[in-house]
Amino acid sequence: MINHLGIVGAGTMGTAIAHLAALKKISVQLYDVNETILRRSLERIKADLRKLVNLGKLPPEELAITIEYIRTRTSLPDLGHCDCILEAVVEDIRVKKDLFKHLDSNTKSSVILASTTSTLSITSIASLTRNPERIVGAHFFSPVETTELVEIVKGQKTNVETVERIKEFVISLGKTCILAKDTPGFIVNRISNPLLSEALRLLGENVAEFEQIDRIVKAIGGFPTGPFEMIDQIGVDTVLSQMQSLYNQSFGDTRFRPYPILQRMMESGLLGRKSEKGFYAYEKL
Amino acid sequence: MKKTSKKNSKGSIKPAKDSRNNAQNPKEVQQEPVQQEQSVDIEKSENTIEHNTATIFLTGESPLVEQYAEVCASHHYSVKLQWNIPPQKENKFLSPQISIADNILSSACVALELTNIDRDTKRNNLQKLDSILPDTTLILSSSITVSATEQASWISRKHRLIGFAALPSFVEKSLVEVAPTIYSPKETMEIVSRFFTTLGKNIEIVQDRVGLVLPRIICQIINEAAFAITEDIASPQDIDIAMKLGGRFPLGPIEWIEKIGVKQVYAILDALYRDLQEERYRIAPILKQMALTGSWWTKDET
Repeated sequence: MINHLGIVGAGTMGTAIAHLAALKKISVQLYDVNETILRRSLERIKADLRKLVNLGKLPPEELAITIEYIRTRTSLPDLGHCDCILEAVVEDIRVKKDLFKHLDSNTKSSVILASTTSTLSITSIASLTRNPERIVGAHFFSPVETTELVEIVKGQKTNVETVERIKEFVISLGKTCILAKDTPGFIVNRISNPLLSEALRLLGENVAEFEQIDRIVKAIGGFPTGPFEMIDQIGVDTVLSQMQSLYNQSFGDTRFRPYPILQRMMESGLLGRKSEKGFYAYEKL
Repeated sequence: MKKTSKKNSKGSIKPAKDSRNNAQNPKEVQQEPVQQEQSVDIEKSENTIEHNTATIFLTGESPLVEQYAEVCASHHYSVKLQWNIPPQKENKFLSPQISIADNILSSACVALELTNIDRDTKRNNLQKLDSILPDTTLILSSSITVSATEQASWISRKHRLIGFAALPSFVEKSLVEVAPTIYSPKETMEIVSRFFTTLGKNIEIVQDRVGLVLPRIICQIINEAAFAITEDIASPQDIDIAMKLGGRFPLGPIEWIEKIGVKQVYAILDALYRDLQEERYRIAPILKQMALTGSWWTKDET
């Protein structure tokens, strides 16, 4: 059982997981180097909990109780007593490798060390540690509150006990988990790639306009969102870096080769929803 | 959400400067001479498409032919159909408006050619239709695995052939991809649009390219899933669950393959690979094996 959860990184993902765990009455130590980020994270959680109260999904008296489950920390040793530490820092392999090396040498070997990476290899993240068997991937999807899936990624040396414990924890958060091998893009990002990358090629080859492709994919294919709406929502830069990561990690397999359209858009600041203009134009957030 | 472009509202046809070349990219100027001063005129044929008793003639592969026949029948057409190879099971579920034809019905108001797998049969079917049907009768032909322009090159009255995406199990959707050729006059496209309207469908005019839009995207998704299964990334059923719960897919790739049919999927991927000649369209060997043997792993196998 995981009763004490440590989270490293109070960005969007770390914040959402802290919120989810607190609702399940799991005590959370939320760590970040930056106090401002921690304060904002906690405010965001409070605001989201208030929304739940207003919707009648959370009894009002539970709001303060739930918030009490989350403690913000700016010192990593404060996470020492946790059963599981979940990493949700920037998608940079060097940062993650160093962080896991540090966590591995400063925690008991019974503590599970999990990464929420969506693109990086778990085996690679664990490569500088002495106990890679306790390192595992737990890939949550945005938005965390409404996406039921978590991909559990077993690194080359991750042991069965670690996999079972993280699965049990993820299920206790009310999610469904699917076990994936540690291969580029795991399952979802890899198999979603043709949707986005074929759509970009169809656009680039002038087979159809992007609005047409979105309409076709939704009305005929039955998808709730078209590929270009999806790219705008996720962010042009994020999609491009995911595609590049898939391509590099597969040593240049042409199935994963990114299409230049996104590169040009990124360079001209057309990042999608967050910059008010991507393929479509948006109102200010 | 505000869209940047207002053009092309659902179902409307792109305006073209040259009425004969509305299929082409507006950025390009087409100088291709058009062969004949001829156009399709359904009004002049015995049956008009708006007429209650109009008959549609369908020819092609099972189950696509039956599926399209049912769509036509449910929109008050009477339907004559002909299979390339009749299905082995009795067609007891066909609606009463549908009957099996021994010969091509020359009085049909529209003919649909629905073959994606067997190229030679498709060519044969189109040539027969072209020789028997009056010059004014429209031929709508599935153009997923062979471009509509290539198909038009097989027949003599090229102006009357229009391509569209006929993919098994996607026939009832309210939108359809239509691909005109360089021979297609604007008038033919207007008739195509009216015909699909009578079937409750809007049209999306796309370029005449192998795979069109959705078949190319879905088959490439299936191909990637097949590679992932071959590499043992996860079990087929776990891949379906993951894509639906994590990727917001309406169906998993394995469910799609079961709905569309593995032979169709293989034929589309094979056509894409031949047409685009790029390694990224290389087909997962497991799909070829399945297309040849017709088998699929069982659901409870992991």
